[in-house]
This record gives sequence, structure tokens and C-alpha cells, in this order.
Amino acid sequence: MSKIELINIKKQYRQTEIVKGVDIQVEQGEFAVIVGPSGCGKSTLLRMIAGLEDITSGELKIGGKVVNHVSPDKRGIAMVFQSYALYPHMTVAENIGFALSLQKVNKADIAARVKEAAEMLELSPLLKRKPAELSGGQRQRVAIGRAIVKRPQLILFDEPLSNLDAKLRVQMRAELMRLHREFGSTVIYVTHDQVEAMTMAQKIIVLNQGVVAQVGKPMALYEQPANQFVAQFIGIPKMNMLAGSIKGNTFIGENQQQIPLAHNYPEHAKVHLGVRPEHLQLDRSGSGWKVFLVERLGVETFLHLRDEAEQQVVIRLEGDSPVSEDETLGLSFDAQRCFLFDANQQRLSPNIEQLKHVENRA
Amino acid sequence: MMQAQTHLEQATQKKAYLTLVAISFFCVIPFFWVLLAAFDPQATQFLSLPKELTAGHFYNLLVNESGVRWIFNSVLIVGLATLLTLVFAGFGGYALSRTSAWWKRPLLYAIILVRIVPPPALIVPVYKVMLWLNSAVNNVILTLTENVEQQILLSRIFSFVDGYLGLVLIHTAMQLPLAIWIMKTFFDAIPKDYEEAAALDGASQMQTVRRVLIPLALPGFAAAGLFAFINAWGDFLMPLMFTSSPELQTLPLGMFRAFLRVDAIDYGFLTALAVIYTLPAVIAFSFARKYLTQTFSGGVKG
Ligand SMILES: Nc1ncnc2c1ncn2[C@@H]1O[C@H](COP(=O)(O)OP(=O)(O)O)[C@@H](O)[C@H]1O
Ligand SMILES: [Mg+2]
Repeated sequence: MSKIELINIKKQYRQTEIVKGVDIQVEQGEFAVIVGPSGCGKSTLLRMIAGLEDITSGELKIGGKVVNHVSPDKRGIAMVFQSYALYPHMTVAENIGFALSLQKVNKADIAARVKEAAEMLELSPLLKRKPAELSGGQRQRVAIGRAIVKRPQLILFDEPLSNLDAKLRVQMRAELMRLHREFGSTVIYVTHDQVEAMTMAQKIIVLNQGVVAQVGKPMALYEQPANQFVAQFIGIPKMNMLAGSIKGNTFIGENQQQIPLAHNYPEHAKVHLGVRPEHLQLDRSGSGWKVFLVERLGVETFLHLRDEAEQQVVIRLEGDSPVSEDETLGLSFDAQRCFLFDANQQRLSPNIEQLKHVENRA
Repeated sequence: MMQAQTHLEQATQKKAYLTLVAISFFCVIPFFWVLLAAFDPQATQFLSLPKELTAGHFYNLLVNESGVRWIFNSVLIVGLATLLTLVFAGFGGYALSRTSAWWKRPLLYAIILVRIVPPPALIVPVYKVMLWLNSAVNNVILTLTENVEQQILLSRIFSFVDGYLGLVLIHTAMQLPLAIWIMKTFFDAIPKDYEEAAALDGASQMQTVRRVLIPLALPGFAAAGLFAFINAWGDFLMPLMFTSSPELQTLPLGMFRAFLRVDAIDYGFLTALAVIYTLPAVIAFSFARKYLTQTFSGGVKG
């Protein structure tokens, strides 16, 4: 049993509150990713789960038991540090086997389990080396080996891939997912990289300034963001936001452009319309938007456009597109894919009757 | 252009080497003389090649005089003091490195202040304290046993004045400030991550200290231990102040007394003593050198 529950967890350093009441549940065997911008309190939260940091208030339960005051060595948790923190005076084999040697496991068993972990991580030829003689990627593997060798119920990762180059990062992402499938341990993984979150997570917890902004499956966050922060944090390039007002089922932009929506909304004088770059289409017969930057990547092209009110949008096109800078174009919005956010940055729901109508049709 | 530059560099290097050789020569000469004279049956105060070699001076020192006793005293007192210094400096340095309490800085400066005051200036107050402690300890010893021989033995070991304990403690106290600073600086360079990783690997505090912190801090301990040993080994003032009985004489005191003898100065005897006196420092250095140059890297990244 290793369900993890955080109940109204808070962390305060002197006068400033860093983590401001977090409620999270992570099921047994789940791969949960805590994602958020730098400085939002991810590491602090993770270190509280590990027991390296006191919990100011709230309850932390592992497997149903409150562990607020259980010391880290008694929590049955492994952690992979951002810095790796491999013991420099020990060989790779000693590093991996350290936890077992502390448990007084006999030497032959340690060797066998170290060997098994090393094979899984392709470290076998390196077992006799010291950390100083390894590359970044190899150190990363040793750090992971050290975590999995004691078969913990919960493994914590704090930005484990942030010191690797881009290619290795993609490779390690796949590897970590494979390891998770093989081991079935519960994983809590912290990152500031939404790509890592989207690709690896079974559950994403978006953290913003010490508060949980939204919890959900990756695609749920993409398709149904609860607020402007999540909408813009998930997805690259980030979701376009246009300021304006709403009347019935029409959004009126600052440039007076009228955008028809799929549903009726309660009237609001100040709202933001959010639409992802991949849900915008070019309207070559239209006008109002001027191209100021074209980014061609081969598989896709990003156009950066600006209107008279100096509002900017990015639009993603498949493949190449015969568009040049300074051209003036129109945009067509995918009405089903537009989100509206109120002045508090929360997502607006359509009028109830309208919603029922839609559900009946479905 | 390139060639001209390398040529110039070579010339500069040559000059640098020549200067270094000259300086080294100048430094080595006295040691060389000491070494030669120690084995020369007709040693004089001038540098001369011995016509024959003898171990007679050493024999004289160790067998006829109390050389063995002096060496034993010096090694015992300084060795114990170094050990104690390392234990205290390890704990103190670690605590001072990790704490963020407001008294951290004031305390650090207070510690180094002890070191800045010249030892002779401390002698009067220290002697006063030691004398007071001494009478307390000797009172306890008198109540412990009636046997006079036992009393003398216990008093020799545990007295603060004219006893081993006093000398060990005073040396420890003198060497501790610098050692604490060295260890504090050293622990500063060891990231907290290692301890946290050890805690998550299931290590208790004792295990973390024994299997992670001490191995990582070895170069620091080697440096602090070497300084403490060499400083205490060469200290003359403290043994002079706090011992009077001949059984407690240390090597520097023995040398001093030998030098003061009224009859003609026996250079062979003195240089033999000097060789023996230098030896432990050389041994300590070669022992510590292995750890001093040992640096750990690659454990932490970013
Ligand atoms: N020991 C500490 N004392 C005071 N403030 C801290 C301490 N540790 C972290 N913080 C602050 O807490 C905030 C969150 O830090 P952290 O959890 O490391 O963020 P993240 O991992 O999301 O980048 C930061 O603003 C940081 O300055
Ligand atoms: Mg962090």
C-alpha cells in the first residue's frame, strides 16, 4: 500500500509562505508529475514528502499512515536528486549498493541486486568506476540505479533530466517510463518542463506560486484547462490570449473583430479568449492581421501575427506555407476550441441550458 | 612569431628554475649539515664531510640520556592532542558549517581571536585556571586511594600542571581554533545533498557520519591534523610552563636543556636529537600528503 495523500500541506520560511495549502492524492503505482515554473515550490513540496524539510502544517499520509514526523530513512522512499549526489568516494557498484549495505543485506545478495540494476540501466561495464569518471548521462543512470535497487514503494525525482542535453533527455524519458512499467513503484516526478510532464505523466499536478492550479490527465489539461495559467502553461507554443468582451455567443475583440463561439456565455465586459496556435486557420481572403515573423521547421510553420491593437497571436500550420513577412491576412477561429477566461483568469462555462442542449444532441 | 614566443617562454622558465634551485639549495644546506653531523663522530659547528660514519650519537642519546623518554612523551602528548583536536574540530567545524543561526559569525570570529592572541599573553590566566583545576583533581586523587605509589602515578597522568592530561588539553586548546576553521571551510564545500541522499538511502545519523561525511572530509582532516601535529610538536612554551619533573620532558625541552649544559656543546648529540625531532614531522607529512591531494569530484553536478 503506497497511496500518497497530501492534505492541506503548507510550508513557511520565516514570514513567507512558499507552499500555500496543497491537496494532492497519488494512487499506488501511479506516475505523477508535479509541473510548474521555476520557484513555484515544487522542490520544497517534494522535499517535504521525502522528509528532508519540515511540514509547517497539514498532513502527509503514505499508505494511509500519517508520516509528518517520520524521519526520511524510515519512510521507505527513494529520491533521485537534480545534482545526482553520487558519493564521490565510492565506485558505481558501491553507490548503487549503499542502501542495501546499510540494511545489512549479505554481500552476495547485494552483488546480485546491484548486477541486476546495472544490467537494466546498461551500467554493467562501469561498475568499478568512480562517479568522476562518468559522463552526465551515466551519472544519471547510477542515480536512478541507486534509487531502484532497494525496491522502494515510492520514488521521487527532482528535475532529474535538467542537466542532460536534449537528445539524452528524450532517451531517458522513454527509459524512465519503461522502468516505471517494470517496477510498478509509485513515482512523483518534479519538472518545470511541460513536455516531460505531458509525455510521461499519468497524472499531472500543475503548481503555480505554491498553489495547485489543476490536477488531471495530460490530455484533460490540454483540452479542458481550468484557468488561464494552465491553459498557457500546457502546450508549445503557448495558447494565444485575446482581450475583449462577450455578448451571447459572440466574442468582440479589441480590434472589433467578431468571433462566433460554439456556445452562449453570460455577458462579461472583460474577458480573454484563448485559442491554441494549432486551432487557428489562415483566411487568405480576410484581413486585419499582419505577419511579422515566420518560423519554418519543416514539419510545421509558425506564423507570428499582429493586429492594429498590437495584440499578437501565433498560428501553427502543417508543413511549409507560402507566406511572407509583412503580408496581411485574416484568421478563422475553431469555435469548438475557443476558451473564455474571466477577469480572475478562471475559465468561463457556457450557459447551463445551452450545455444541456449540446449534451442531448451528443 | 610563435617560435619567438616559445623561445622567450623557455628563457623565462630557465631563469625561474635556476632561481628555485638556488633557493632550494639555500634551504636544504642546514638540514644537510644536521644530517651529516649527526653521523659524524667528530661533529663540529662547521659543515664538513665526515671521515667515518657512526651511530654513536644516537646510541648516546637513546641509551645514556633520556632520549627514549622524551620521544615517548612528545609522541604521546602531541599524538593524543592531535586526535582530540580532530574529534572536536570535526564536530565543531561541521556544526559551524551547517548552522545558519545568528551567532555563527560572532562565534567564528571569537574562535579565531583565540588564535590571534600570542600564547605568552595567555600564560598567566591559563596557568591560574590550570592550577585551580589541578588542585581539584589532586584532591579527588587523594580521596580515591591511600597507596602513595598509585597516587603519584594517577597524579602524573591526570594533573593539569606537571601531568600528561594538562599538556594534552592545553595543546588541544591551542590547536583547535585553526583546526575548526579548516574543517568548517572544508565542510562548506561538501554539499548537503550527500547527507540527504544518505538519509534517503536509509542511513542513520551515525552511519551518515561514518560512511559518507568522514570519508568525504578526509582531506580536511589530513590538513587540520597535520597543522595541529606540527604546531604542537614544535611547541616549546607550553611544556616549559606546565612541566617541571624530568619524567615529563618532551623533545624540544630535552634539546633545550642539552644546549644549556655548562660544558662544551656536543654538536653530534644535538644534531642527532634534531634528526629525531624532525623525523615525525616528515612522517606525518608524508602520511597526510596522500589525503591532502585527494580531491573528490563528480558526485554533484549543477
Ligand atoms: N531554505 C529556504 N529558505 C527560504 N526560502 C526558501 C528556501 N528554500 C526555498 N525557498 C524559496 O522557496 C521558493 C520555492 O523554491 P523551490 O521549491 O526550490 O522552487 P522550485 O523547485 O519550484 O523551483 C523559492 O522562492 C525559494 O526562494
Ligand atoms: Mg527545484
